[in-house]
Amino acid sequence: MNKSLALRGIFLSALLLMAGYGSAFLPGGTPTWGTWLFLLGTSLIMISTMALGAAKGGQFRGLRLLFAFLFLLIVAGLGAALLLPPNEGPGSMLLLGLPLRAAIVVYGVGLLPVLLVPIFYAWTFPSLGMRDGDLAQIREAAEAARREAAE
Amino acid sequence: MTLPQTQDLPQAVQPLIVGVAVGYFLVVAAIGIWATRQIRTAGDFFAAGKGIGLVALSLSIMSATLSGFTFIGGPGLVYALGLGALFIILPAGLTNAMGAWVLAKRLRLLAEVRHTLTIPDVIGARYRSPLAQGLAGVAILVAVVGYMATNFLALGLVISAIFGIDLGWAIWLGMGVTLAYAAGGGIVAGIYTDVFQGSLMAVASLLVFLFALRSGGGLGGISETILANDPGFLAPWGTLTPLAALSFFFVFGMGSLGQPHVVHKFFMLRNPLQLRWYPLVTTNALVVTMLLYFGVGMAVKARTTSGDLLPLALADHATPVFLLNYAPDLLAALVFSGVAAAIMSTVNSFMNIGAAAAMHDLPVALGRRISNELLWGRVSTVLISVAAALIAQHSGALVAFLGIFGWGLFASTLVPALAIGLNWEGATRAGAIASISTGLAITLVFETLAFFGAFSFPTGVTISGLSLVASLLVFFGVSHWTRHQAARDLDPDIRVILEA
Repeated sequence: MNKSLALRGIFLSALLLMAGYGSAFLPGGTPTWGTWLFLLGTSLIMISTMALGAAKGGQFRGLRLLFAFLFLLIVAGLGAALLLPPNEGPGSMLLLGLPLRAAIVVYGVGLLPVLLVPIFYAWTFPSLGMRDGDLAQIREAAEAARREAAE
Repeated sequence: MTLPQTQDLPQAVQPLIVGVAVGYFLVVAAIGIWATRQIRTAGDFFAAGKGIGLVALSLSIMSATLSGFTFIGGPGLVYALGLGALFIILPAGLTNAMGAWVLAKRLRLLAEVRHTLTIPDVIGARYRSPLAQGLAGVAILVAVVGYMATNFLALGLVISAIFGIDLGWAIWLGMGVTLAYAAGGGIVAGIYTDVFQGSLMAVASLLVFLFALRSGGGLGGISETILANDPGFLAPWGTLTPLAALSFFFVFGMGSLGQPHVVHKFFMLRNPLQLRWYPLVTTNALVVTMLLYFGVGMAVKARTTSGDLLPLALADHATPVFLLNYAPDLLAALVFSGVAAAIMSTVNSFMNIGAAAAMHDLPVALGRRISNELLWGRVSTVLISVAAALIAQHSGALVAFLGIFGWGLFASTLVPALAIGLNWEGATRAGAIASISTGLAITLVFETLAFFGAFSFPTGVTISGLSLVASLLVFFGVSHWTRHQAARDLDPDIRVILEA
């Protein structure tokens, strides 16, 4: 069920991305809603693709919260850059050395996943990736499946 | 992160820079000689005999991902476009884990069960289709020759700047050094020179970043200087439109799953259990190495807006000008060698997959097998390299054109059939062939029309992004339409791997 949800997410996001690109052909350039469609599409396709790859036995338990959080993080981070009024100018407030909107994008969308995602990957690797003995077991199962098909 | 570098660099002929560069080339030559002695079979030449460890895998993937663009073109792009240029590297926090989840385990298992050597091999095995394998091989070969031409030109420009020699000779010199270790030692030489080159790149980048921050009074000081003169530079999209910046994020995020010179290295890992730590090691190495991209572009912009430095004649001069004017000589020497290292490690990977496409994938697609793949792999490495170097001699628009569509062509032809297809039993042979053909056709037709000025897309719409989306939709649509074929297009042992 989770894997099929991920596949639907990828398909839906491809439609959103195409609609976003299509909106750029309208007279007057890309409308705001076109940019939002593209933003949602690009966030959804990255997360859905990760979820599709992480699924084992159709499920990706242990990572649902991470994927939900990452999706919200990217949409909120990039969305904030679209929604917040431009405040860059002499004397504007800096957050960790950057103006607010840029800091949200660079530290939120860019750096926070660096700290989180590889750790979650390593943490769930024994259950969703591989364990000792899996390689030999899969090699044997594949051989057996091939022999059975040949017979 | 392998965009073309086609503009002249400022001359950097100084004894220390020349000395460090000569030392660097000697180390690379020594690794090449050692690696040549390790090669016994085509499996060693193309896939390192499934014998490399985690650190070698991570550093070689990091080195192959980054080219000279990270050190020269990238900082130049930040200088020219502001923070919008960061959207090219912004997905880096996600892409390595995504590659590990989507591709690493299954590619390594396929190498175990089917002894696959190349990415088109995988596509052929997944869909039981020599045609799909051949089309993927054609796409790779087309992109590789263009990519290599742009990278040889970039390498020639760097060598010309370091040694003060004519660009034409510099291209042949750079090609010759890279070819010497690639044709002899194959991917084994590539992997271990990548380890050396990747370490050099990471150290050089970190030092330059720290130096750039210190020279501008910290990141806050640099930002305040820029905000006082050009506040739009530090807007989240820089001078780009939001759609253009988001398009970078999409193409360089999803497109990372379709870069064959990067993902084919998953075949080579000795112990697949080490994949557990692969995203952690690679992501951190990648982020450290990309600090220069951000730091130098910002520091040079602050210098020019405050009047300390004249505006650059060419944006690509940002790194050389910063190094030659503000960095210690030894650090400048390390970075110039680091740029050469970055380009050579990327070119080496292209040489390997290009030779494999020509001597392995295309013959298999035509129902033939070459009897001595090792010998012919070496011969085709030489031929492809010479062809690319000849194209690189015609520097300028043609070479830039050939380089631009490489990333997009890989992404649109390989992401659906490879990344989605290895995780979805419902994908069909017809879907894979249609999506690869769609990616090839859209990229080649529209890039050519754009090159000749016959057609252009609205601001923010990139051909690489559009062709990737179209290829995905075609893949889903045709696979759904031919879904009754899905079970027949999947061998039982491949199904075991898809379900693993």
